[in-house]
Amino acid sequence: MNIYVLSLGFGLITASILAIASVGFTLQFGVTNILNLAYGDVMTGCAFVAYLVTRAGGSLPEALIAGAGTGALASYGLNRFVYTPFVRRGTRMFGMIIVTISVSLALQNGLQAIFKATFFSLALPRPSSYTFAGMIFTSQQLVIMGLAVAAMLLVHSLLSWTKLGRAMRATAADPELARSCGIATDRVIDLAWLLSGALCGTAGVALALNVTSFTSTAGGQFLIPIIAAAVLGGVGQPYGAMIGAVVIGLSAELSAAVISPSYKEVVAFLILIVVLLIRPQGIFAEVATQKEVVA
Amino acid sequence: MSSSMQFYISNLLVYLAVDVMACLGLNLQFGVAGLINLAFIVFQAAGAYTAAVLTLGPSSSMGGFQSYVLGAHLPFPLPLLAAAVVGGALSYIVGLVALRRLRTDYQAMVMLVISLIATTVVTNATGLFNGSNGLALIPRPLQSVLGLSPVGYQWFYVALSFACTMIVWVVVRRITGSPLGRTLRAVRDNDAAAMSLGKNVTQMRLTAFVTGGAIAGFSGAILAQYISAWSPGSWLFPESFVYFSAVIVGGAGNNMGAVVGAALVPVAFLEATRYIPQFGYPGLVDALQWVVVGLLTLAVMWFRPRGVFPERTRRFARTPGSEPRP
Repeated sequence: MNIYVLSLGFGLITASILAIASVGFTLQFGVTNILNLAYGDVMTGCAFVAYLVTRAGGSLPEALIAGAGTGALASYGLNRFVYTPFVRRGTRMFGMIIVTISVSLALQNGLQAIFKATFFSLALPRPSSYTFAGMIFTSQQLVIMGLAVAAMLLVHSLLSWTKLGRAMRATAADPELARSCGIATDRVIDLAWLLSGALCGTAGVALALNVTSFTSTAGGQFLIPIIAAAVLGGVGQPYGAMIGAVVIGLSAELSAAVISPSYKEVVAFLILIVVLLIRPQGIFAEVATQKEVVA
Repeated sequence: MSSSMQFYISNLLVYLAVDVMACLGLNLQFGVAGLINLAFIVFQAAGAYTAAVLTLGPSSSMGGFQSYVLGAHLPFPLPLLAAAVVGGALSYIVGLVALRRLRTDYQAMVMLVISLIATTVVTNATGLFNGSNGLALIPRPLQSVLGLSPVGYQWFYVALSFACTMIVWVVVRRITGSPLGRTLRAVRDNDAAAMSLGKNVTQMRLTAFVTGGAIAGFSGAILAQYISAWSPGSWLFPESFVYFSAVIVGGAGNNMGAVVGAALVPVAFLEATRYIPQFGYPGLVDALQWVVVGLLTLAVMWFRPRGVFPERTRRFARTPGSEPRP
């Protein structure tokens, strides 16, 4: 029909992937206050696991489960065996940024060394496509949007209605107070990284599913829109990240239609910078906290 | 010494000089003032492009095979100085918006994003600096005037870059050894305390940021004029991290550490190993190099978080009379 309606469709898919990824990212940051710049590269790793599963004849659900599982274990391991020891050893926020970039660089290039710097795509049967009101979606893209909605509902129910969700929110708000109230913050943090890692892995597989081909830098490049969505909604606020994802996803794809596809990332970047300058606490957070990293 | 050996050594020495300058600049920003400038390489690139377009002459002069802005033929020291000015001016603009009241991690994010935006814009706006192909055939300073043999010119360039490094060293030492340097360290360690003593924290940070940016631009000009080509591939985001890695390995906050770090990480690890035989498929060695730089940084952060040459702890002698009475 027309290009804007089409881009709106692309925007919804990008927003879905972003929502899964940025809610995971914001949970990690909210609970431990570590800005995990290796998040995108863990996503790439999960996409490669999904690739291997589909190459071995696995179906899409199997690939998704494998990707989410890898993401959960990798993120848990990263926090438990790399980040937490550094924090306990006295590395502060300042140094943790360098630590996470080091991990990101090693991970990204490690993947490149193993898989070579070429293009990959998931070996899945060709999807059928559907048209809704001028927007075209493949069946795989419908799966991505379904996953996003399911993930958001899951995170919402977890945070609002379960004991674990309340414990997570308490740990994010004030870890010491949470500890003195009898919350086993160590376990809560482990579970938060497992959960956010599963989201990270799912987003990685969704990212690989949505593009015709991906490389070892795919997740790293996707990190900035993820950060933009998370910051826009207020870092550490899962609901904010969801709304941020929709705003960033739609504005990136619509600006690709209006300006030029090569500048679509720049728009997301500029939104991030403007938000950081005008309202660094994000649109939905009430206070900008000056917290330190938590082990 | 055979001439190929001379080329090899002089080449490494020029890279060493450029990396030492860059590390001194980054150390001023990161080690002394505590600013995580993940866009450091952008300011080096800005200086490189400035020097390039100011020596290449008008864009149409060489059959118009590359397009860029501001073509001019300036004589020798002017393009280098202009590069430093542009590096500093760009830092001032970025610093004005990025260094205000943002948490350290948010500042780092802004810088990371600026680095990516700069790459995207320069790659896509082909009229600016010839897009992703970059600029080539950048004239080398004084090459036509001196009339030296290729090897002789190599050694001239080594001398030139070492002289520039000495200038940068003196400038940086003057800052870090002065009351300004002391204030910068105070701002880094406890900005609230520095503010309560009446120090203008933002102003102090901006001073370090602009000086570091000017040094970055200057080093970029020396580098681009040496390799006589410059493209977005030369200044991707991970290149900033190499300098961070160097400063951390050497010892953040210590100028000597920055020099040693520059010799160890960018030169020994990345430049010198370009000459070892390639194994595996093309690109494998490059990927593994980055893995090693990442792991090396992690190892140093773990085992020697203050680097090979830790920042000197400054102690003040007790003033007479303040001794506790027996």
